[in-house]
Amino acid sequence: MKLNWDQLRELIQLLDEANLTEIEVKQDDQRIRLRREPAAAQAPSVATDPAEPAATAEPQTKGIFVTSPFVGTFYRAASPDDDAFVEVGDRIAPGAVLCIVEAMKLMNEIEAEIEGEIAEILVENGKPVEYGDRLFRIEIA
Amino acid sequence: MFEKVLIANRGEIALRVLRSCHERGVRTVAVHSEIDTEALHTRLADEAICIGPDDPRRSYLNIPAIIAAAEITGADAIHPGYGFLAENPEFAETCAQCGLKFIGPTPGQIRQWGDKVKSRALARSLGLPVLEGTELATNMDDAVDKATALGFPVVLKASGGGGGRGMHVIQTEEQLRAVFQAARSEARAAFGNEELYFEKLIERPRHVEFQILGDEHGNIHVLGERDCSIQRRHQKIIEEAPSIALSDELRSDMASTIRRAMKETGYVSAGTLEFLMDETGSLTFLEMNPRIQVEHPVTELVMGIDLVAEQIRIAEGLPIELPAPNLAPRGHAIECRINAEDPDTFAPSPGTITEFHMAGGTGVRVDSGVYGGWRVPPHYDPLVAKLIVHGPTRAHAIAKMRRSLAETIIGGIRTNIPLHRRILEHPAFEEGRISTRFLDEFSP
Repeated sequence: MKLNWDQLRELIQLLDEANLTEIEVKQDDQRIRLRREPAAAQAPSVATDPAEPAATAEPQTKGIFVTSPFVGTFYRAASPDDDAFVEVGDRIAPGAVLCIVEAMKLMNEIEAEIEGEIAEILVENGKPVEYGDRLFRIEIA
Repeated sequence: MFEKVLIANRGEIALRVLRSCHERGVRTVAVHSEIDTEALHTRLADEAICIGPDDPRRSYLNIPAIIAAAEITGADAIHPGYGFLAENPEFAETCAQCGLKFIGPTPGQIRQWGDKVKSRALARSLGLPVLEGTELATNMDDAVDKATALGFPVVLKASGGGGGRGMHVIQTEEQLRAVFQAARSEARAAFGNEELYFEKLIERPRHVEFQILGDEHGNIHVLGERDCSIQRRHQKIIEEAPSIALSDELRSDMASTIRRAMKETGYVSAGTLEFLMDETGSLTFLEMNPRIQVEHPVTELVMGIDLVAEQIRIAEGLPIELPAPNLAPRGHAIECRINAEDPDTFAPSPGTITEFHMAGGTGVRVDSGVYGGWRVPPHYDPLVAKLIVHGPTRAHAIAKMRRSLAETIIGGIRTNIPLHRRILEHPAFEEGRISTRFLDEFSP
């Protein structure tokens, strides 16, 4: 199962319309749980557990977030002398390298999973990131 | 001295290590999975790094993620706790290669004691009494020959196992033929090593283990013994120190034998040598655990020491610093492991803890990694708290434990507290008539 943006939106709608606090969908090795606090009525948060960078959605912000799949150090370019892989406003296609997260001297290239436009770069070059930290916001046209 | 220690564990042992670090003025880094974002170890550490999703293979067992967390936080050393990566020699080696001090024995020592058949041979060569057993059984016919030569009943064990996992009691040749292949696949799946061997079955053994500490200056201290005979399916649930089954003479003989043996191997850090005691009172070596153990607090209480602080000092290269050269146990300590499980069916009982009130008062210690409102995740072991008491005699300690169990309230999840209460009330326990078969024989 690979959940696309529309399916995710449907799940969020379902959560809202049915006035549920939690939905969990599990198929193959992917699990998606949407949960919201009963008090905070309109903002469901999304927790995903995929093998690749996760997509987190919040209705009030357009786009999806690319999160770090590793603990490590975030680099926007292949080396200090190179240009950044992407800048705000760039159009990207699935497979495009967005950044590097370095862990134990291994340079792990993080690739885009979807097509869209880089709306925001959320971490400064050279800063440490944790697993699940948001790196980029991508707007889908 | 270390400035910052990363604790590569969760739950009560992560807090246990954190406390000794903070008392020593050492800053701490917690690592956690996504579901442990609000866990107590995450909240109490000076810094916390999320290293992966809930599945422990991708978080608490994820060596690159843990090393990267140490690198980005600038930690000097890593304490592995118990379980997870504590006895993984590759992890200890990777730490060294990355310039991080592993707070524990050397990779070579972890390897030396990790394989059960090799560790038995090593113990024998060091002059320790070792339980009668066989070499590895290469195939079914060889297994039958070896078991017959040893004499039924026997225990079929996985060489890569330990800690009570991967063992079968075998009464007859037919039974052996029926389980051998399955035991082999089971061992391969559980330990990545299908090698099996036999040990002689001791019918009603006590489990007696000795705590040791070694430093880089060649000092070895034997810090008395613990009796961990109350077990369920080979997992300890109640431990005490000292063992009432040991005479002062046997205790001091064992201490000198063990001290001499461990000096010869140059053992560094905390470790435990486990023995089985048969009904005649003789002890034979079972296995060596090169790490801090769950039940270490009973030793701390009767000896008046902090074993984790000593591990840290040792890793800093300092000599062991004990309050007196020849420590003897003072009084008696008992520990009950409180698990999130059904007290009758033993099914795990994860869920949200709605109420959490642990016992207090003189001589009561609680080591726990949970709090009221916290949801016990289903992904990890079910230990929610260790209740440990210390009194002047065993009878006092039993009275204190009964009182403490009665005071303890854990709501929202099921725990094995009712089982602990029944054991503590049982006349056979009170009289010290205990063995690893206690729960089978007395069904308290």
